[in-house]
Amino acid sequence: MGKVVGIDLGTTNSLVAYVDEGRPVVIRDESGDALVPSVVSVGEDGTIFVGREAQRRLLTAPSRSVYSVKRFMGRGIEDVREDAGLLPFQVSGEAGGVVRIGVADREFTPPEISAFVLRELKHRAEEHFRKQGEFDFEVDRAVVTVPAYFNDAQRTATRDAGRLSGLEVLRIINEPTAASLAYGLDQRNRGTIAVYDLGGGTFDISILKVEDGVFQVLSTNGDTHLGGDDVDRLLVEIVLADLAGSYVRGAGPAEGGPAGAGGRGAGPAEGGPAGAGGRPAGAGGRGAGAAAVETIRRAVIQAKWDLSDLEETEIRIEPSPAVPSGYQKRITRAEFERIIRPLVDRTLEPCRQALSDAGLQPKDIDEVVLVGGSTRIPLVRRLVEELFARTPHSELNPDEVVALGAAVQADILVSGRREMLLLDVTPLSLGIETMGGVVSKIILRNSTIPASGREMFTTGVDNQTGVDVHVLQGERELAADCRSLAHLHLRGIPPMVAGLPRIEVRFQIDANGILSVAARELRTGIEQAIEVKPSYGLTDQEVERMLIDSFEHAEADFEARLLIDARNEAESVIHATDKVLRRLDLDGTGAEVFEPGERERINAALTGLKFVMAGTSRQAIHDWTHALNNVTRHLAEVTMNQTVREALAGKNVKDV
Amino acid sequence: MTPDPIPLRSPSTLECRSCGAGAPVDEHFCPQCSRILALGRHGDYFSFLGLPRKLVIDANDLERRFRDLSRKFHPDYFYNASPTERLASLERSSYLNDAYRALKNPVSRVEHLLAIEGLPSAKSEDPSMGSGHVTGKVPPSLLEEVFALNEELDEIRELRESGADPEKLRARLEKARAPIDAKRAEHEAQLQELSARWDGQAGAAAAEKRATLDALRERLLERNYINNLLATIEREAASVAGSAQPAAGSHG
Repeated sequence: MGKVVGIDLGTTNSLVAYVDEGRPVVIRDESGDALVPSVVSVGEDGTIFVGREAQRRLLTAPSRSVYSVKRFMGRGIEDVREDAGLLPFQVSGEAGGVVRIGVADREFTPPEISAFVLRELKHRAEEHFRKQGEFDFEVDRAVVTVPAYFNDAQRTATRDAGRLSGLEVLRIINEPTAASLAYGLDQRNRGTIAVYDLGGGTFDISILKVEDGVFQVLSTNGDTHLGGDDVDRLLVEIVLADLAGSYVRGAGPAEGGPAGAGGRGAGPAEGGPAGAGGRPAGAGGRGAGAAAVETIRRAVIQAKWDLSDLEETEIRIEPSPAVPSGYQKRITRAEFERIIRPLVDRTLEPCRQALSDAGLQPKDIDEVVLVGGSTRIPLVRRLVEELFARTPHSELNPDEVVALGAAVQADILVSGRREMLLLDVTPLSLGIETMGGVVSKIILRNSTIPASGREMFTTGVDNQTGVDVHVLQGERELAADCRSLAHLHLRGIPPMVAGLPRIEVRFQIDANGILSVAARELRTGIEQAIEVKPSYGLTDQEVERMLIDSFEHAEADFEARLLIDARNEAESVIHATDKVLRRLDLDGTGAEVFEPGERERINAALTGLKFVMAGTSRQAIHDWTHALNNVTRHLAEVTMNQTVREALAGKNVKDV
Repeated sequence: MTPDPIPLRSPSTLECRSCGAGAPVDEHFCPQCSRILALGRHGDYFSFLGLPRKLVIDANDLERRFRDLSRKFHPDYFYNASPTERLASLERSSYLNDAYRALKNPVSRVEHLLAIEGLPSAKSEDPSMGSGHVTGKVPPSLLEEVFALNEELDEIRELRESGADPEKLRARLEKARAPIDAKRAEHEAQLQELSARWDGQAGAAAAEKRATLDALRERLLERNYINNLLATIEREAASVAGSAQPAAGSHG
């Protein structure tokens, strides 16, 4: 049996954590970074880049890079048109079907893209365990978190992503609930808690009651389409409006999407217009416009971060091929707050609804916990504090707390420890369409899961052997206003006079919040076959086929992995060399250390390595890393001896 | 809302699917092999939670039972168990959650009692219609109130459509609501009284018990009807509020 981890699969960033000797810890890379950007990029030769590397490529190869894909999980093209407008990649799909994302000449579904991110996290965890000297370092199972307000299709898509990544998803748990588990470890052990979770793309509010180690969710609410991304977008639109008519021809106004041929003027560093790979002409400028939008996005995100601590900052864009004119604008926190206020206000109604569903008043809440990077925004904190009349908790890093909680849950599942138990709820009511397009509810929202419900059906015509059932999720009265989950086709009903069969359909929502259905004709006891056609999900066959595809691509992906490892190694050698050189320059001892020509040789190797790192040739990076290692060997020996001498002379190494 | 209970089918013993031994129907774990039992036949929500069939329940006690049983059944603790046990854990947890939800609320508790005592469902056929009128079969005891309310609602609607002062209409609605609120409060008290009577009748004759159950059912039907009346008033109040600020595009 391999290892088990907890994964926070976020809109912007993802993390992996595990429980080490009873305490959850987040797994970091060499530089101490826990966040893996949820960005995937496809190299010119088909290799897949994930995380920081892919994020870098958002600027250099925007048309080959994908981010914020969580917004598309379990959704149809008609849901995401608005989002797709400002994103650099192609989003398509048939009405009423799964969204497809075009990257270079390949097409991916959102679960496939997410699977790349999950695989990266799996790899990160395995590296960590391997380095710790674990014999069995394979990670094969995980608890993965989703927004509490995710519907069945979105949860199923997440589970599919896990399958595609080679991880067994032990459990899908809700992000706010996971956070409460992490907090519950050393906080008070009873009380009523509100968890306010504003992440990159989603908002959740959950009200929990904690007693005797049982974390019981009383109610949950939210918006799966509201988060830090929207804040960024508002700011990007302002900058775009300012720039409109100036030289950023590729980046049209938000609603029109990046302009067509006009974008070619501002070609990105990718080498020529991005649409060259046989894209429709209208999308030809996407690459250029996308580079501009991405450049602007980075600048406004920096300004947003600044304004969490400062009263005033500047949105600053240096002139570049993407934004030739450059851009500069001062912005105060008050202005920022005025711009984003409508977004933050949108979180308050779900909070009130959740309170009301739990039968509570704001004053009944003992603790408020903040989760998600966007809760660093002072306005968010202020409004939450006002609503609950409580100073919210934020002792744990809001970016990491969900992954920590997922790790705790993973540990509970495999260890069988029973000190803690999470009882979550289903966020949306489950129903079926009845006569006149009206929805008949079978399992009400905020029901503790697992939950089940039953409904009786019969036939309308003599000897009818099949019945169709439309399953929906949502609170509205009409089927057209709810989320279509699936069409069930019950087959094999024994031929009888119309109205005589009594077909019992059982709906079961499991602890993951995912629905399964079974049916039986009660008179004959015959179990009915059910054909499920998911409205916005993949069929099992599709997932199987993708798994086969992913094996075919595994070789290319393996190459990408090696390239990333080579780059990381190169980076650490460069870093170490730079550090020594800087120290020698500072204390002026370089002259007595260097042999003739040594410094020049080192500089040459450094320059060479930095140059090839921008490319994708693993061999070249490997060779230059080797070269730099060679020419710095003498330097390493000398400085090592120096350090040892100084240490022996009673001098603290840290003072050197 | 209470899901319809599974009909009782000779609830004497249950066969453990893990070891084949027989187990009493209200046991959760096999007395022989101590594995979790499949949820085949079972009694009712009360006996499932180890409670007598009584309507006055200590909320804290109920919650404690729910938590304790959750810790025994939850699928989290059956990850390494056999598929049979995993299925049993899922079913038993679902049933526990349904049972807790139904018994926690005093009204759904009565509904469940009526169902397991063999009375027809007290759920109304949603008598509120799109016309804004409360129709359907009016319980005789409410005839007078329903008649007066419908008349008043008609007038308010007409006035609203001809642009009358929303403030005045609101006041009229409040006034129309008062007798309905009073009826509802009266029903709450009656439900409580009948619940206490039922609890004291454990050893009483069948006919006496049946009379109490019939009365409880009557009250529930009326209560549902009253709730629909109140919902209709709420809807009209929302329309009045909406007509007061026709320009408001969106509000919280």
